Amino acid sequence: MKEIPWEKRYDRKGFVAISGMAAFLAACGGSTTAEEEPAAPATTAGAAKPEVEDTLFYYNWAAYVNDETYKRFEEEFGAKVKKDFYASNEDLLAKMQGGARGYDLVVPTGYMIQIMADEGFLTEIDWSQLPNVEKNLDSKFRGLPYDPDDKWSVPKDWGTTGYVYRTDLVKERPTTWREFFDLTKGPYSGKVTVLDGIPELVGSTLVMLGYSFNSDDEGELEEAKQELLALKPHLLAITSTEYKQMVIDGKAVMALGWNGDGAAVAAEKPAEYVVAEEGGEFWVDAYAIPTGNEHPNAAHAWINFVYDPEVNALETSYTFYGSPLKRELLDGVLDPEILSNTDVFPEPETVANLEPNSVSPKGTELRDRIWTEFKAA
Amino acid sequence: MAVAAPRFPARRRGAIRAGAGGPRYPGWLALPALGYYGLFFLAPLALMGAVALSERVGHVDFVYALNFENFKVLWDPLYGEIFLRTLRLALFGTVAALFVGFPLAYYIARYAKRKTLLLMLVVVPFWTSFLIRTYSWLIILDPDFPVLRALKWIGVIADDFSVLYTPTAVYIGVVYTYLPLMVLPVYAALERMDWSLVEAAEDLGDPPPRAFRRITLPLAMPGVLAGSLLVFIPLMGEYLNPVILGGDKTIYAGNLIGLQFGSSRNWPFGATIAVVLIAVMTLAVLAYARLARREEQYGG
Repeated sequence: MKEIPWEKRYDRKGFVAISGMAAFLAACGGSTTAEEEPAAPATTAGAAKPEVEDTLFYYNWAAYVNDETYKRFEEEFGAKVKKDFYASNEDLLAKMQGGARGYDLVVPTGYMIQIMADEGFLTEIDWSQLPNVEKNLDSKFRGLPYDPDDKWSVPKDWGTTGYVYRTDLVKERPTTWREFFDLTKGPYSGKVTVLDGIPELVGSTLVMLGYSFNSDDEGELEEAKQELLALKPHLLAITSTEYKQMVIDGKAVMALGWNGDGAAVAAEKPAEYVVAEEGGEFWVDAYAIPTGNEHPNAAHAWINFVYDPEVNALETSYTFYGSPLKRELLDGVLDPEILSNTDVFPEPETVANLEPNSVSPKGTELRDRIWTEFKAA
Repeated sequence: MAVAAPRFPARRRGAIRAGAGGPRYPGWLALPALGYYGLFFLAPLALMGAVALSERVGHVDFVYALNFENFKVLWDPLYGEIFLRTLRLALFGTVAALFVGFPLAYYIARYAKRKTLLLMLVVVPFWTSFLIRTYSWLIILDPDFPVLRALKWIGVIADDFSVLYTPTAVYIGVVYTYLPLMVLPVYAALERMDWSLVEAAEDLGDPPPRAFRRITLPLAMPGVLAGSLLVFIPLMGEYLNPVILGGDKTIYAGNLIGLQFGSSRNWPFGATIAVVLIAVMTLAVLAYARLARREEQYGG
């Protein structure tokens, strides 16, 4: 059996532990502009292959693009890819809010697409430049709630929020959020971590209680808060960046986290990633073109380029997150072992039970208060 | 009237003392410093005040206004508790750094043969990134760290001893982090001290403890006060130790502010907390400085 090189993929959601501080510094950073001169004037849309500028300034999660993809893109279009990285959606937002401009392409998570669009930080996608996407995008990734008219974004990849546990260190075989909570408060007290993410943790708790991941009902949130406060003393740590290693080392035996990290643990140690029976979060990271961009054609060219099934297979075999392309297109180009891995590609009936994050401003404010109390407890 | 007018106009005592002896420079030489101070301290502070009074709109935005709502929100026992917890951490850190740092500084200043080497040992870790030093404690406090294992084997600590990701780890971390900031000013004060005064006191019948209390301690006081401020003030905004060594499980004022500017996306509230914290700290420090001056003038 061929071993899947999981270790090539680092945390999607974080390569710096102090993202809060980074966000703050980033916010103070002010404007960022590409050094290159704006290239030749863009050809009018509608042409078969619009002329691409000489640069693409790509602002992304770290280690979220295969090096090979960069190389092929640069060869094909003769445009140089400039890179910059963020550690969280909030970092990205803080940077835009702080006035950073000049990025051509960013990859926020769905809920952040909505926020950035509302705040006027995004420009509209020109679908006439994206024939590959038109042709290859699985229709279930069209018109997602965060961007119902597909006006601002094109899906990059997708995943779930559940939990991973060590099958050699945990006797039980939990399948629900309730069991996750009970085991944490019971035999594995002090050996469990949760994500340092407000939507993920509060949302998963709400789902356990039978409510919506995105509830902004005060009564329901109050119940969730009580559950979280009861859970708090039994946690080892609250972290989005270190839990993978903690579970691999056995310092933690169970961790609330994302499917990619879960799969990475399972590749190294006896472990299982669980999408809870009650449901949970389903997230999509999507390409978007921020305002103040200088190379819009290059950005569109990139999106169109990675929607080529072969290039896309390159990406999936590097990130190990689900691809939004029609499944039959990946047959034959993507390693079958990855294609059949339900951690990478959760089954439709699993996904049907999940919700994307789309908390209202009111819900966000209530969550912030709960989060502070949870952390202060 | 027969006497000629004094050559210098009468000035405040402090002014005379400050200017005495030295050559006189034109006042405009202070402009760059003042400009720097204004641009990088006062202006951001004013901006922070303006943001604190602004009103939040939608998910991330805010508009400038005269809105005191955030200050009311801050009046929540939850935030009071976080403030008190931060105060406890800062006070503990300061006192602990003093108890560890003073004897060390005393030893270096009075007895050590290789002062420079010892001082280097205090300072050199400071050249390493704060982040890396904090991460190294993650290794030291790990229950599987060989030293801890050895201590467990000998029976010095219990077998299930584990402080990593607890407030205890944070407390250990801050003492380590801020120790040099205490040692250096105390050392500077003790180094300048004339030890013959202590000898004289002892010759005249003071037993060493009393000589220490009546001579050494008052003379070291400016260093102790400076060191305490250098440790206490940044500790009130401590961010990194709770995140790394505390497993981000316990929140202090610095983390609360970071949370508002980051994932909560509530800049006005973050600014409010920061402004209130700065105001409280300023008052505390002013009171302390006043107290300290009296102490210096009249002796402890």
